[in-house]
Parts: sequence; structure tokens; C-alpha cells
Amino acid sequence: MSIVSLRNIEKYYGEYHALRDVSVDIAQGEFFSLLGPSGCGKTTLLRTIAGFEDVTSGEVAIAGQEMAGVPANRRPTNMVFQSYAIFPHLSVAKNVAFGLRRRADIPKQSRATLVEDALNMVGLDGYGARRAHALSGGQRQRVALARALILKPKVLLLDEPLSALDKKMREQMQSELRRLQRHVGITFILVTHDQEEALTMSDRIAVMFEGRIAQMGSPEALYRRPETRAVAEFIGMMTFLEGRAASGTVEVEGLGRAEIAAPEGAVAVGVRPETLTLLAPGETAARETAGTVADRAYYGDMTYYDIALPGTDTRLTVSMKNRLSRAVLEPGTEVRLGWEPDALLVYAT
Amino acid sequence: MTLRAYVIAYLLFLYAPIALLPLFAFNDSTIIAFPLDAFTTRWFAELWTVEALHAALWNSLLIAVVSTVLATLLGLAAARAAAKYRFPGKRGLMGMIMLPLILPEIIVAVSLLVVVIQVLGWPLSRWTIVAAHTLICIPFSIAILNGAFQNLDASLEEAAVDLGENRWSAFRLVTVPLIAPGIVASLLVGFTISLDEFIIAFFLSGAEPTLPVYIWGLLRFPARLPVVMALGTLLVLASILLLVLAEIMRRRGVARAGLKDKGGFL
Ligand SMILES: Nc1ncnc2c1ncn2[C@@H]1O[C@H](COP(=O)(O)OP(=O)(O)OP(=O)(O)O)[C@@H](O)[C@H]1O
Ligand SMILES: [Mg+2]
Repeated sequence: MSIVSLRNIEKYYGEYHALRDVSVDIAQGEFFSLLGPSGCGKTTLLRTIAGFEDVTSGEVAIAGQEMAGVPANRRPTNMVFQSYAIFPHLSVAKNVAFGLRRRADIPKQSRATLVEDALNMVGLDGYGARRAHALSGGQRQRVALARALILKPKVLLLDEPLSALDKKMREQMQSELRRLQRHVGITFILVTHDQEEALTMSDRIAVMFEGRIAQMGSPEALYRRPETRAVAEFIGMMTFLEGRAASGTVEVEGLGRAEIAAPEGAVAVGVRPETLTLLAPGETAARETAGTVADRAYYGDMTYYDIALPGTDTRLTVSMKNRLSRAVLEPGTEVRLGWEPDALLVYAT
Repeated sequence: MTLRAYVIAYLLFLYAPIALLPLFAFNDSTIIAFPLDAFTTRWFAELWTVEALHAALWNSLLIAVVSTVLATLLGLAAARAAAKYRFPGKRGLMGMIMLPLILPEIIVAVSLLVVVIQVLGWPLSRWTIVAAHTLICIPFSIAILNGAFQNLDASLEEAAVDLGENRWSAFRLVTVPLIAPGIVASLLVGFTISLDEFIIAFFLSGAEPTLPVYIWGLLRFPARLPVVMALGTLLVLASILLLVLAEIMRRRGVARAGLKDKGGFL
């Protein structure tokens, strides 16, 4: 059974159409991400689930209950705000205990223990007496998590919780959030504009553009088989080459002919960098194309090469794992490129 | 060097007249002139015996308290709305509310007199002054409270609602403590403004003069001047006390919210 069910959600801010026919079912215990560029309506959608925004039409149901007319403070959801919204006039412990005030079902005596457990869970044991404003960004976020999770919500909503952290901290929190989610078994809905973050953390991702869900699926499905060029461009790195489809084959500029069924006419052919190989001398591949290294970017573990191909101005990006036995190629080097027709993504233009 | 001289001259110009107040208040002579006579506290003692003065003081305090509280409540509503909602014409509307700040008081006074007497047909009383003082205090309240709300993250109140509080309790538990210094500052500033406001009170007071109006009446009797000086001395002391209090509250609030002190109105 789905824990959150959105049916044909439409949302207008005055004239502005912020959410367009959004329908999603999110399963109990799922780590679900809303991914999209700035202004696409991710926060708006999260807020309609939390009860901070009314929908213009459509239905929001949580745990099988229709949520129309249920205010935010009565919904079985809790939110981690982008700014964390830690109450600056209260101590860490009082922040974490804040939501317990209204919970008659939790006896007063057990509250201190609950707070301690919650702080323990997010790795902040012993911080209870600290003033909230004396915390670092990462610590604030942990307090916000503890404050929400202590209430054992059915759904935890997180609005870009990692965007205020530096890269190291962000990566650490990504795995920690994931671990925490598995540990508590609560459904997480995460809003992010960082595709890498969505890919590494989620069970399922919905990609949103301009208020509409463009594609929904597992990280692998989204990465491997983006249904539209827009999704393909948004997730991961991809080079597009012009192509022409006719009778079961596609003639790809620079690469050559591939046996792919596609509607006849001009097409755009997407190529992911890691599906290509720069062949070492003696190495062979089923399909080979000659090219020249035009530029390269060295990342330590990987090198990204821009390859100039005959018959096109488009530079094809190829990523190669760096090996000790293999020198990084200099611009100007002639190379042979190995590729597979199966890895090409064809979109009508 | 010239700058230092300028600053000294400026401060003298600003504070010398006020410094003269206590000087003559303790001077045992009805004539306000140098050289000074003997030291006396009889002018202060006299303050205790004048019934009309007590009535005027009571009027002033009542008016100041009521109109300050009203202005602060209304200012709170306006500043919160301005911080929280987007709506068309917001800037224009806020500008209109702030207008009494720069309007000459004499114009406000005359137009209010016309409205109260000609249009509404009310008798002049303390309450007409309360209404007018509320009007002139609101812009100050809004200006101060706007600052308080600007330092406030709008999602704090939402977070409290998210954690189970209703709108009112979220406001009371989160917003009020965080803007408390602003509220106190607004109350103190409004109180001082109302307490020493003369022109509007003079136009609208009828048979119930406020302290400034009463003092103005006293000026026609030169023999009573030292009493006015004594009264003035006490008022200056009270004002300084109030302002220091306001600044202490503001600093405490800034520290509590964990913000950098960006300088207050003192
Ligand atoms: N209260 C509001 N009134 C009018 N328009 C709004 C309101 N809130 C959001 N919008 C508009 O709705 C659109 C979607 O906003 P939303 O905050 O959901 O975007 P987002 O995907 O979260 O973007 P970001 O990544 O920048 O946070 C934006 O164009 C925004 O200007
Ligand atoms: Mg957002």
C-alpha cells in the first residue's frame, strides 16, 4: 500500500501554474526524491504534502487518509526545512523536545530519554545543553533531523537538506541520511536539484520540469533509459550527436552506422562518456571510430577527454578510468574510439 | 583638530540647554538667570502639592500607555504581514502607513481636529488624543518591528506548526520570544513620543490637558518657572532611563537570537 498518494494535483499561484497534473504513489519505507531545476515546483509539491499549501485541485492522501482540510499540524508528516529552522532561543534539547509538547500519547517522564535517544541517533549525544545558535551547519541539520524523527512521523519531508553544507560534509551526510532512513524505516521524501545526490540516495526519483513530472523511476532506470532529451540532459553527463534514422538503422555523425529502430527522420543521439572506450594499441572493439584528443580534464581517478571526430564540430566526451600502466593522453593524440550501438539513446528532434 | 572642535560645539549645542534644567531646578530663586543663588529642593517639593499637575501627569501616562500598546499591536500586525505575505501594492501600502512619520505634526493636528469635531462630532477628551497618538506612533512601531521581523527566518513559525502547534501557539512560542526586544523597543519609543508630544495634544485635549500642555500653561506665570525646571529635570531622567532600558533589551535580544549586533537606535 502506498503511504503517500497524490492524484492529479494542480496548483496555481494566481495566474502562475506551479504544479501540473502531478500523480505519484510513494511506498511505505521508500526513499523518494523530487529532482529538478530551480523553480520547477519541488518545494511547492513538498509543501502541499506537508499541508503548508492548498492544492487548486487534486487529492493528497497520506496513509490512506484524504488530507483535504487537514492543517499541517495535524498531518502525520514532519519536515526538515532548507534553513533547518532551528529555534535560536532554545537549547538543542528543547528544540528536539519541541514537538513532544502536543503529544499526549507520550508520557512526560519518558521525554528526556526520548530526546537523548534522538540526539544519539543523529550523533549529537551530549549536545543537549548547547544553545542552538552555537552550532555548525552540519550540527544544525542533525538537530533538525532529531527534532522531526523523535515524533516518528509516517513521512519525513526534506527540502534540500544538504545544499547549505560544504562538499565533504554533504557527502558524509548523504550516506548518513541513507543509513538513518533504513534504520528508522520511515518514508523519506527528499527535494534536491543535485542529480548526483538523488542518484546515490534514492530508491526512486521523480524528475520535475516546469511543474510537471517528466519521468519517474529507479536511479538506474533514469540514468540508463531517460525517456526524453530533457531528462537525459539533466541527469548525468551526455553528448548529443546529430543523426538520421531510416529503415532500422541510425546514421550517427562522426561515429557511423548503428542498428537501432527509430522513427524515420532527423534524430539526436545521446552518448554517455563511460559507454565509450579509448582503445589502447592492439585493443579492439566491435565498433571503432578514429578521432583526435581535443582537450582533457584530469580528475585524479578519472580523465574526461573531448574527442574531435571527422565530419562534425561536436566534441564527444569520453571518460576513462586512470590506470598506472596507462599514460594520460595529451591533446592532439590520434585515438581509436570503441563504442556500442546498445548504449546510444535516440531522441526524435 | 577642526573636526574635534566641531564635535564639541555640536554636543554643547545639543546638551547644554538640557544641562541647564537641573541647574535652575535646584536654584533658590524664581528668576532664571546667572549667577545662581543657594541650593534648594523646594521646587521639587512643590511638585508634590499641585493637584492640576498630578491630573495632567496621570492623563499623559494613561494616554501614553494606551496609545503605545495600541500602536505596537497594530504595528505588529502590519510588520508581520509585510514580512510574511506577498500581495500587490504592498510597497505603496507600507509607504502610506509610514507617511505620518514625515507629515508635519501641525497638519496632522489640524486635520484630526476637523475630523473629530466636524465629521465625527465627538467631544474632545483623553481618548481623542489616544487615537491621534496611536496614529503617530504606528510608523515608529512598524519601523522598529520591521527590523525585528527581518532578522527572523520565516520558516521558524512554520517549523513550529509542523511540530504540532497551531498558528497562534506557534506565534506565541517562537515568534514572540524572538521579536520581544523589538516589541519592548516599540513600546518604549512610543511611550516617550506620546509622553512629550505637544502640538496634537494641545489641539485635541479639551478640558483634560496632558503634561506638556499643562507645562505650556505654566509658562505664562514666571514665578512658576523653577517648578517647570524641576519637572523637566525629572522627565529628562525618566527618558534617559527608558532609553537605556530599551537598548539593554535590544542587545539582550540580539545576543539571544545569536545575531551580530548591527547597531540599534542608540
Ligand atoms: N507563494 C508564492 N506565490 C507566488 N508564486 C510562488 C509562490 N511560491 C512559489 N512560487 C513560484 O512557483 C514556482 C515554483 O517554486 P518552488 O519554490 O516550488 O520551486 P523549487 O523547485 O523548489 O525551486 P528551488 O530549487 O529554487 O527551491 C516558482 O516559479 C516560484 O516563483
Ligand atoms: Mg525549493
